[in-house]
Amino acid sequence: MSLTAWALVVVSQFALVAGQIYFKRAMTRREQDGKWIGLLAIGIATMTVWFLLWLGVMHQVELSKLMPLEGISPLLIVLGAAIFLGERLNWRGWAGIGLTCAGVMLVSAS
Amino acid sequence: MHDQLPAAIPPKPAPGLFWNPYLQIFLTVLLTAAAQILLKAGADFSARNDSVWSWIGLAELGSVWTWLGIMALVASFGGWLYALRFLPLGLAFALSNGVHIFVPLGSWFFLHEQISFLRGSGILVIIAGILLLAQSVVKVEEKI
Repeated sequence: MSLTAWALVVVSQFALVAGQIYFKRAMTRREQDGKWIGLLAIGIATMTVWFLLWLGVMHQVELSKLMPLEGISPLLIVLGAAIFLGERLNWRGWAGIGLTCAGVMLVSAS
Repeated sequence: MHDQLPAAIPPKPAPGLFWNPYLQIFLTVLLTAAAQILLKAGADFSARNDSVWSWIGLAELGSVWTWLGIMALVASFGGWLYALRFLPLGLAFALSNGVHIFVPLGSWFFLHEQISFLRGSGILVIIAGILLLAQSVVKVEEKI
């Protein structure tokens, strides 16, 4: 896998995490003061960037090498949610996230 | 920026099973899996088509399957946003990985694709992970 492809993967995963955090912020804001459409629009734009980058990477890299990387996205989302939204998990939650990531990698690698 | 806003009080979902956020995540997962399979069916339809449209990827739009797939994707996005009103993002996203269970199962059932041993064990590991996550939710809600 070339350096460019790795960079695209990293940026696309960042876009995925950012997009989902914007979605969550939009839905929280909806309950607070109803000004959520802007955040939702940023979320949709960010997810579009993720989708296009991911398609671009798929174009360059064999799918079998790429798909296991998709397995780390639940972990990245949980870390992003912990840092930017202050979400917390108990040990069962962390174990569940770990197993889910491992399972997604297995399914994707096969 | 957040300090100036009223504190985020977790909202209560509307009564009724359909408005349960966990059921909405499940429906989102089912709709996303259905969308993948419908889009694949639409792509297979256009693969038999030799027109100019098929070269630029627009022939898929001539298939009802593709349009059903797009509608399923839009509906699943609605369910996802609804669920995010009530659930933490990390938990909701992890549960949404159930799609990796239903896509292979649906491809096996509807498209007659094989499920390898590795893929089958991956599906079991995801189910175990989702069960643990579900248990963690029960523990958290007991405390509240």
